[in-house]
Amino acid sequence: MSAASYLLFRRGGGLWGVASDEVVRVAPHAAGLAVEAGATAFAADEVVGVVAGLAVRPLPLFVRRFWSEPGAGLALHAGEPLMIVDPRQPPPPFLSPPEASGGTPDV
Amino acid sequence: MDLSQSTPALGRSHLLVRAGEQVCALPVAAVRRVVRALSVHPLPGARPELAGLAEFAGEALAVLDLSRLLGAPLGPHPAFPVTVVVWAGPLERREAVGLAADEALEVVLIDDAAVVPGAGFLRGDAMVGARLVRVLDLERLGEDA
Repeated sequence: MSAASYLLFRRGGGLWGVASDEVVRVAPHAAGLAVEAGATAFAADEVVGVVAGLAVRPLPLFVRRFWSEPGAGLALHAGEPLMIVDPRQPPPPFLSPPEASGGTPDV
Repeated sequence: MDLSQSTPALGRSHLLVRAGEQVCALPVAAVRRVVRALSVHPLPGARPELAGLAEFAGEALAVLDLSRLLGAPLGPHPAFPVTVVVWAGPLERREAVGLAADEALEVVLIDDAAVVPGAGFLRGDAMVGARLVRVLDLERLGEDA
C-alpha cells in the first residue's frame, strides 16, 4: 500500500497513518477525534498532520506474529515508527465507537 | 581468544543476557547491536510478547519482551534498560528485531553437547559455570516454545 500522502494521528500511545485521499473528515468525538475514512471512523487522540513521501514497507515478521490486526505497512516519521492502517480493513482497537444516542431506551 | 568465531572443540560463542530472573544465551553471530533501551511505542491489541515498535538505524523495528517470550518472572524492578538487536527468523527471511532485556552480561562458549534440548525457539538449557542458561535458537524465534 502506498499513497501520495498520509494523515497521521495518535492513538493509544502510538502514531498511525491513513491515506489522505481516503479521509472524508475529522470530527470531534467523545473526548477525542474521529477520523472518518471510507466507511470507517478511527478513534484518534490527536491529529498530527498530513505528510507526503513516506517510505512504507510491509509489516515485519515479528509484528505479524504478535499483532493479529490487519496493518497495511510500517513507516517512520520524524524518527518515530508509525503503522499505516487501511480503512477497508480497520484494526478493531482503533474503531471509533458510535455516539451514544442519548435517548431513553424503549422498555 | 577471538570469541566471534565458532570453535567446535570449545563450543559456539553466545552473548548472555539477563531477562527478569532468567539468563539466556544468544548466538553472537546473530547479535547486531546492544543499545540502551530504545523508545518503544506500544501497539494496542498486540500480544504481551510484542512490547511495541521503535526506530533503529532509520527503520521501524519490532521490539519483543524477552522475559515474556521466555515465560520468565519479571523480577522485582522490570525496567528493561537494554535492547539487544538481533537477526531472527528463518534464515531466508530473517529480520532485525529488538529484544528488551535487563542486562547484557558476557560472551561465553557453549558446547552443543552440553545443551539439554528444549522445544521451539528454546534450543535448550545449559550450565555455564554455576548458572543455568536458556539457549535460544533465533531462527525459530516467534514459534511457541
